[in-house]
Amino acid sequence: MGSGFTQLFDVHIEFSQSHLVFPAIVGWVLVVLFGAIVVVYGPGLVREFRSGKRSLALGGGDFDKFRFLATIALTIAYFQSMEVVGGFFPNKGFGFLIMSIPVMFLFSLLFVHGLTARKLVVIGLNAVILPSVAWYVLKELFRVSLP
Amino acid sequence: MDILSLLTPIYFVLVFVGIVVGIIFGSIPGLTATMAIAVCLPLTYGLNLNMSLALLLGLYVGGISGGLVPAILLKIPGTPSSIATTFDGHPMHQKGEGELALRTGIVASLFGGVFSAAVLFFFAPALADMAIKFSYVEKFLIIFFALTVIASLSKRVLVGLFSGALGVWISLIGTYDTTVGGNGDTRLMFDFMEPYLADGFSLLPVLIGVFGLSTILQEAAQGVKGGGLAGMALSHRTRFSLRVFKGQMVNLIRSSSIGTFVGILPGIGGSAASVLAYTQQKNFSKEPAKMGTGVPEGIIASESSNNGLTGGALIPLLSLGIPGDSTTAVMIAAFTLQGVQVGPLFIGENPQTWDMIIVSLLVANLFMFVVMFFAIKYIIKVIMVPKHILYPGIIVMCVIGAYAINSGIMFDVWTLLLFGLFGYIAEKLGLEIAPFIMGFILGRSAELYFVKSLESFGNLTIFFTKSPIAMLLWVLIALSIGYSFYSVMKTNHQAKGANGG
Repeated sequence: MGSGFTQLFDVHIEFSQSHLVFPAIVGWVLVVLFGAIVVVYGPGLVREFRSGKRSLALGGGDFDKFRFLATIALTIAYFQSMEVVGGFFPNKGFGFLIMSIPVMFLFSLLFVHGLTARKLVVIGLNAVILPSVAWYVLKELFRVSLP
Repeated sequence: MDILSLLTPIYFVLVFVGIVVGIIFGSIPGLTATMAIAVCLPLTYGLNLNMSLALLLGLYVGGISGGLVPAILLKIPGTPSSIATTFDGHPMHQKGEGELALRTGIVASLFGGVFSAAVLFFFAPALADMAIKFSYVEKFLIIFFALTVIASLSKRVLVGLFSGALGVWISLIGTYDTTVGGNGDTRLMFDFMEPYLADGFSLLPVLIGVFGLSTILQEAAQGVKGGGLAGMALSHRTRFSLRVFKGQMVNLIRSSSIGTFVGILPGIGGSAASVLAYTQQKNFSKEPAKMGTGVPEGIIASESSNNGLTGGALIPLLSLGIPGDSTTAVMIAAFTLQGVQVGPLFIGENPQTWDMIIVSLLVANLFMFVVMFFAIKYIIKVIMVPKHILYPGIIVMCVIGAYAINSGIMFDVWTLLLFGLFGYIAEKLGLEIAPFIMGFILGRSAELYFVKSLESFGNLTIFFTKSPIAMLLWVLIALSIGYSFYSVMKTNHQAKGANGG
């Protein structure tokens, strides 16, 4: 039996709407916190943008735009091609094996500095050996699902 | 003895492999123990829980310990938890005492690791026994407390709280699960997303994305510089002797205790443990002025505290189901994978696994000691593997981990990419990853406990009046938030003083 004061805090949750209660509360918490962040840190951030200390643009300083964007592009291409190739050989893990070898090779070429013939051989061997061993151990020995 | 029958040669091989791989990850700046576990998790898919934990605890201990190698030889902490090791470790190396510094750190690490395993052994069951009696109200408040503690120790308190709330919000995407008393309706998504997100984002792809792929993206953005850790030659003018530890027992125990305590607090990284222990040693040192110039006591403080963190971080995980740091957060995925739920009932219902965790932690620390103490020269050679060889392999392992967690769902691989990009952007925007991950892991439990409490009691005051524990938790929540604002004000005051004076 609640007193008059505690009755102010009575809450009734309809079961059909219960999935929305907590997300709504967290959503409002996010809005309030975002507002507080804008009020507390906003002026400082504006000053930093105006003075050029901070920028939203990609680039500047040590930013390696080519390697960054190429890494994202290669990752997307890797995932997409793995799914397509894997579709031809269901449950064999060949999508992973076939696509990991060239993609690892390309990633290594993308990341390497001062490419030499010796480095190229090591990169090639690594690109072939690591996915093959991973495929054999995980797919053949441990029966782990691979694309 | 049942447990002896589980200590098979394969078990020891797994701990050993975990230690070696963990040390390698820990030794390479930018790679962490968390990443080592996230990337190697697919290797546990074919193992049972005890064997999985053998490998993962090896990775954890190795990953935390390996950070001292570049901290001493290059003045670059291999992991954030070895930051304070650079203060005295590198000056010692420059004086020709590199080997002495490394071996001092390794012995201190062993002490800290064994100390924390002992604390875990005695403290976790007691905490779990207490937590079994908790109702939904107290369970919700514990999660709330965990999130406020981790957020309050962020660089910017409001941003930390925002990051934690964002993690909770993203965890709620999907169906309100009927198996825990939900109504089975979906929320926070459009209809076309339902085939992919009905169960929400899977934990492991999110973790691998945030800790694995985003690190590669950050490195790519910086041009993947440094073909390896060249220049790590070991100086050994002064040989190691246990006499270094003469008069350091108090330092060892205090620093290990600090590390273990910091580990128990949810989400606080090893860097806090390391710096806190170092600062305390400086306060208590007979010759504080010498610290930072290359004296073993600084390394002893830092290394015993960061290894003390390992057992400490497992305490809230195994007794409350709340990870003590981001590395143990990834370990939750290993338990989930084996169909085991960590929480107050875990130790009582899985006594054999509990014993194995303690044994594995001890064995891992002993192996770490043997590998690092006697084979340090070879470890240094191994970690010189160039990044252009290492990183593509990590990407491949990330894919395996994400794809295989739910036995072959390609959407999980795309989730990996999505959260890899999120991790990169979050870092640029200054969002705090640790509170975000903690919020993501605990969000659904928080919802369950909150809604069920209100459904049962129908009044918000129940969160304050349910029990003395609930009231105590509110005091702790208020203290953690109060402390964070106090530290911000103190820092601002000091900054103004420095500018003014």
